[in-house]
Amino acid sequence: MSANPLKVEARGDRLALDAGRTPVASSEPGLPQRSLALRASGWLLVALVVASWVFVVSEPSAHVGDLISRETLDHGRDFLQQLAGVGEARPAYRDPGQWRQAARLAYRTLAMSVLAIGFATIGTLLTVMAGARPVLDEGRPWPRTLLFGLTRAAWIFSRAVPELVWALLIIFVFSPGILAGALALGLHNFGVLGRLCAEVVENLDRRPIRAVRSAGAGRGQTLLYAVLPSALPAFLTFVLYRWEVVIRTTIVVGFVSAAGLGREFRLALSFFHYSDVTLLVLVYVLLVFAVDATSVGLRRLAR
Amino acid sequence: MTSAKASPAPLGGGPPAGHVPIRGRGLLTLLLLGALTWSLTTVPWGEPLVHPGGLTVLGEMLVAALHPTVSAEFLGIALAASWRTVAYATAGVSLAILLAFPAGVLASGVLVRHPVLRALTSGASRALLGVLRAIHELVWALLFVAAIGLSPFAAVLALALPYAGILGRILAEILEDVPPGPLAALRAAGAREWQVLLYGRLPQAFPNMVSYALYRYECGIRSATIMSFVGLGGLGYQIQISLDDLRFREVWTFVYCLVVLVVLVDLWSGVIRRRLLA
Repeated sequence: MSANPLKVEARGDRLALDAGRTPVASSEPGLPQRSLALRASGWLLVALVVASWVFVVSEPSAHVGDLISRETLDHGRDFLQQLAGVGEARPAYRDPGQWRQAARLAYRTLAMSVLAIGFATIGTLLTVMAGARPVLDEGRPWPRTLLFGLTRAAWIFSRAVPELVWALLIIFVFSPGILAGALALGLHNFGVLGRLCAEVVENLDRRPIRAVRSAGAGRGQTLLYAVLPSALPAFLTFVLYRWEVVIRTTIVVGFVSAAGLGREFRLALSFFHYSDVTLLVLVYVLLVFAVDATSVGLRRLAR
Repeated sequence: MTSAKASPAPLGGGPPAGHVPIRGRGLLTLLLLGALTWSLTTVPWGEPLVHPGGLTVLGEMLVAALHPTVSAEFLGIALAASWRTVAYATAGVSLAILLAFPAGVLASGVLVRHPVLRALTSGASRALLGVLRAIHELVWALLFVAAIGLSPFAAVLALALPYAGILGRILAEILEDVPPGPLAALRAAGAREWQVLLYGRLPQAFPNMVSYALYRYECGIRSATIMSFVGLGGLGYQIQISLDDLRFREVWTFVYCLVVLVVLVDLWSGVIRRRLLA
């Protein structure tokens, strides 16, 4: 079961932990300090959780009583019935025409996700060597250090801003549609992929790189014949894993970029066409599962 | 920096270049390039893709990025919005952990010995976790707001459900993957399965679980930000308000707040992970 997305994510994460760890950290005298930092972090977390819950519960719009009141229960039941299309002559999910339309939207949503991950991958491949700590065992002239800092900052920035906020900004410049949505998704994932792929490069086995280097290869040749061949499988795995994340997010980016399933979902909710909502969520979940399965299959090829 | 190599070889990064099967990878690369080409053809290139005044707005945005609003009064608003976002994220993720724990333990199937029962309970909880996680948190939020109205609980629940799906699945996997030696020792000493779980699996799984939960917490901050889309407050809400009024300088202040939050959580969790996993 090693080929599942979340594991890759967890591993990608563990990769992140290994990068930049200094060997000194494991020396004995550091132990008491360590547990102090951990204990402080633990208490800080507890304090944060308590403060957050107090804040959430004490907000004026938060009525704990309402949450389980008669009214809310009735309302919730009505909502579920409307989702199921109770009382409708022909709920959307039993109408072949509606299914066909939803399938067309799913097709466009899929295209948007592929385009987005394509943008992110191209951006990552162009910047990954600049943003990875050097693997060529060479000195670092200051322009390269500057470039390294800039690339890292760009990754952090594009990663910290959620896709949806990127989309909000982008539709001020681009017309709503597949391209705008793909750009927003691509920008966020560029930062995520950049970081993951840089860590792959940093953790590469240095021996083949040195061998190619000492055989007289230039920088470009080393990249092409030593770095890329050993890093590519991991790159592809991460690209596919992020694609699975992207397909889940396409629907919400569609809310603002007016493309694919997201737009219709939003409209259907606004117009209280709840059985349409059910159909769209169904198609969306099917699409997500299909992409997951495809990605698992493709990842086998990467290995 | 040689210590990085000591870690278990991640994914394909480990095997030497010559041993990687080229055929599958070449085929995959071709497939991916083909998919990208196909997706490019779906963009209506003939229509104007940039707004008539789009480039001017882009210029304004970039200039504003260098001059975010920094008046004391405004920073107060930004700080309050940041706290709200953090509070939603913290409450949501903490609830997610509570939900993920029993579901994850059931999904791992480590408590049940009987093969049929185990397949049933584990399969059912895996399916549940799968559905929870397949639906994006914002879609959950829309559904919750439609069901219980504009309440912060809608945000917290909307965050908690998909995050429980992810955390539960990871917990199940970590529990399955713990080294079997200590577990066998516990069993040999007469421990029951729940005792093996309590004294063998959970302590071994703890560092990895904390490390992963902290990573999800960082994601939770981003997710809490976009809860504004359903009308719930926080940084995203402020960003939307400022955008509606075309006050780009304010937008950037909020965006920078978000970046700082995410970087802070990232650094903090880095410190904790390093010490836990060292």
